[in-house]
Amino acid sequence: MGIIEVRNLRYSYPNANAQALNGIDLTIDEGEFVLLTGPSGCGKTTFCRTLNGLIPHFYNGIMEGSVVVTGLNTREHQTPELAQYVGLIFQNPDNQIFALTVEKDVGFGLENLGVHKEEMIKEIDWALEAVGISHLRDRATHELSGGQKQRLAIASILAMRPKILVLDEPTSFLDPIGAERIFLVLDKLNREHGITILLIEHRVDLAARYVDRVMIFSEGKISSNGPPEDIFASEETRLSGVGIPKVVDLYNRLKGLGFPLKRTPLTPDTLVSQLEEIFQNYSTKLTLRSTMSDLDEVAGEHHYRPVIEVHDISYTYPSGVKALDGVSLIIHMGEFVAIMGENGAGKTTLVKHFNGLLRPDKGYIEVDGGDISDTSVASLSRKVGLVFQNPDDQLFSESVEEEVSFALHNFGFDAGTIEKRVNWALNLLDIDQYRKSSPFILSGGERKRVALGSVLAWDPEIVVLDEPTIGQDHGQKERLMHFLMQLRTQGKTTIIVTHDVEFVAECKPRVVLMANGNVIADGPVKAVMTNDKALQRASVSPPEITKVFSRLSSYGLPRDILDVSEAAELLIQLKEANP
Amino acid sequence: MSLLESLRFSRGDSPIHNLDPRVKFLMTFVLFLAAVMFMDLIPLIVIFLVQIPLVTIGKIQSEWFKSLKGGVFLALIIFVTNLISFYFFQGRTLNTSNVETAITLTVRFLVLITSFSIFFLTTSPDKLSLALDKTRIPYEFNFAFITAIRFVPVLADEAQSIIDAQRSRGLELDKGGFLSRIQKYIPILLPLIINSIRRSLELAEAMESRAFGATKERTNLYELKMGNLDYLALIVTLIALLIVIYIRFFTQPFPSLLEPSVII
Repeated sequence: MGIIEVRNLRYSYPNANAQALNGIDLTIDEGEFVLLTGPSGCGKTTFCRTLNGLIPHFYNGIMEGSVVVTGLNTREHQTPELAQYVGLIFQNPDNQIFALTVEKDVGFGLENLGVHKEEMIKEIDWALEAVGISHLRDRATHELSGGQKQRLAIASILAMRPKILVLDEPTSFLDPIGAERIFLVLDKLNREHGITILLIEHRVDLAARYVDRVMIFSEGKISSNGPPEDIFASEETRLSGVGIPKVVDLYNRLKGLGFPLKRTPLTPDTLVSQLEEIFQNYSTKLTLRSTMSDLDEVAGEHHYRPVIEVHDISYTYPSGVKALDGVSLIIHMGEFVAIMGENGAGKTTLVKHFNGLLRPDKGYIEVDGGDISDTSVASLSRKVGLVFQNPDDQLFSESVEEEVSFALHNFGFDAGTIEKRVNWALNLLDIDQYRKSSPFILSGGERKRVALGSVLAWDPEIVVLDEPTIGQDHGQKERLMHFLMQLRTQGKTTIIVTHDVEFVAECKPRVVLMANGNVIADGPVKAVMTNDKALQRASVSPPEITKVFSRLSSYGLPRDILDVSEAAELLIQLKEANP
Repeated sequence: MSLLESLRFSRGDSPIHNLDPRVKFLMTFVLFLAAVMFMDLIPLIVIFLVQIPLVTIGKIQSEWFKSLKGGVFLALIIFVTNLISFYFFQGRTLNTSNVETAITLTVRFLVLITSFSIFFLTTSPDKLSLALDKTRIPYEFNFAFITAIRFVPVLADEAQSIIDAQRSRGLELDKGGFLSRIQKYIPILLPLIINSIRRSLELAEAMESRAFGATKERTNLYELKMGNLDYLALIVTLIALLIVIYIRFFTQPFPSLLEPSVII
């Protein structure tokens, strides 16, 4: 018998018509590390809630079937009791930290269980050590970074010594480095401490290599279930539209093109060693140094009129944190720019200067050729539309239509124009069918589109998107990418702030790389993504495919390859040169 | 706002920080009581002087200075309104004893700020909650108190994000008349409230997952234990209380400092 036994589980939330879970049968054995993925809204989070009894005890609604964890039927045991066996970790680290200091927060669960002080201290020591944050023991919880907070959340659950950890998209608010650290911690807990782990994640690129088994959810059911090598390589998975690790994607393509590859690789390293085995028999080498066309170079030069000019600006927050330290940058009309770097590098602080939300302590900014020091945020916003990361920080109207027209009223458009613009924006973002609905009943992805529409409605010359891909599933990202391409063809200047390298690798903008409040590299994406020194300083790791090609240069292959199609094309060239 | 801001606890290590919060509370309370009992300038100045060594032992001079600075404006209002009301209620005259009373009330205000500063600047909310734990107040209230403090910075960040987002959509908070300005806060308050409701649900889930309410016999990682210094402080405080009561009720009234004469 497995440590988790789910039999014919069905569930619907109170006042909901649709079934959230639609007949799940599942066994997870002790010590397994399972990855659960699938599009947003497919019931993954709901499923998590059934594992420690939040469903059916905390949420009402109708549950059928049974969930047995560590031999306990969740119907018969309350959540606080089940919490000792199954630890749940949620998406937003801030909403699961209760105490003011790290040590006290780790102890919170133990206090609730009535554990004695001496034992409590021992467990706290162990849990902090296990996730590698012993040095933060006496720190105040609100001073921690996002990644540290999420590791604290894991330690706090771990201190109760659960046999099973269930993590619901724990890395969606983190940058890739923070995410990787979480996965390493989970891997260690699984291998060294035998803890069974169920991880729900969209970031399959980073997570796949650690897990024993992958399950894909769709419409409240498990649609595929098996070892990651099989699941990601299967045609069925590709068609289901969930994210596939880039190396597996490349492997699938190459196999289709007749490469004699064996095992499905989950890391760039394993793919490289398989390719090297094939290549060692090749006598002809390619002689490509770089795939960067001259056109790319030109696009980054002063080809168009500059629209945003940042002159040596510095900014320090009232709290004393120096966020920008002498940044200079010129963005031209019609350019597509990605500002990258880890959390805290100063990306968002920089773009908040573009419409005057923040004013530099030193230096100045020009928009459309004019110094903006004395221009109000409202009039700058007409030119520079800023779309923030979290749509919930701005939605407030009774209907989507009103939400989208809010800014138009503020800017004093006349009624006829407002109607025209609202229609245009709703159609552009494909949310016309929700025109009269409340924005609050929409899904996360749809709310994001409403927020985007509410800015695009006034047709600003420059559009700035802050972390548009955060918390988005594969399908939503594809959609966003098409949308950005559309903006680009319309000649709009588009700036995205992101730490999503794979996204950048596919849409190929000009990249401005930031670290510690400075711009440390600036140029075409191919140049920046192969600038090892700068990437390391910015704690950004290159795209998976680039990692593969960085080790194949001895076969005359260029290093600056970012996406799967490009990669497949080159490798086939090499193969054809060696009949 | 800056007055409240300056009362925020910052970590530190000093005999005052380490004092048992209950004893410290009693100390603050006695200072407070003494300040309210006297209406004369001399004893209030004495009380003010007594507080200064406490501030230096607690190494909170600069924070205390900030809170005094934050309170200067209010102190000025107290002083001026007193003078004005004396002037009008006495039929448009003002004498030196009126000025002395106004000064006394202002000093009293500064004494009160200082006593609050000493308590709040040196007592971590964690310790305060421990002290609450020792009273008969149910743990749920105590938990709510700590959670409220825990989420102050989180909500402040969120409010800032909302303000930024709405200003970027052309909302001008500082334009228009009083009523239209109030209306302009709706796009800021609504997301804040809705997010808080959403957050509270998530918090409840996380609490359940941390075994909240699993047992009635909750334990505590930290324990309050009275040390020698705590007993000493307790005794000194009680003696001070007796002295204050004796001077106030059983001795001659204090002479005024300023020569009585009419100013206007």
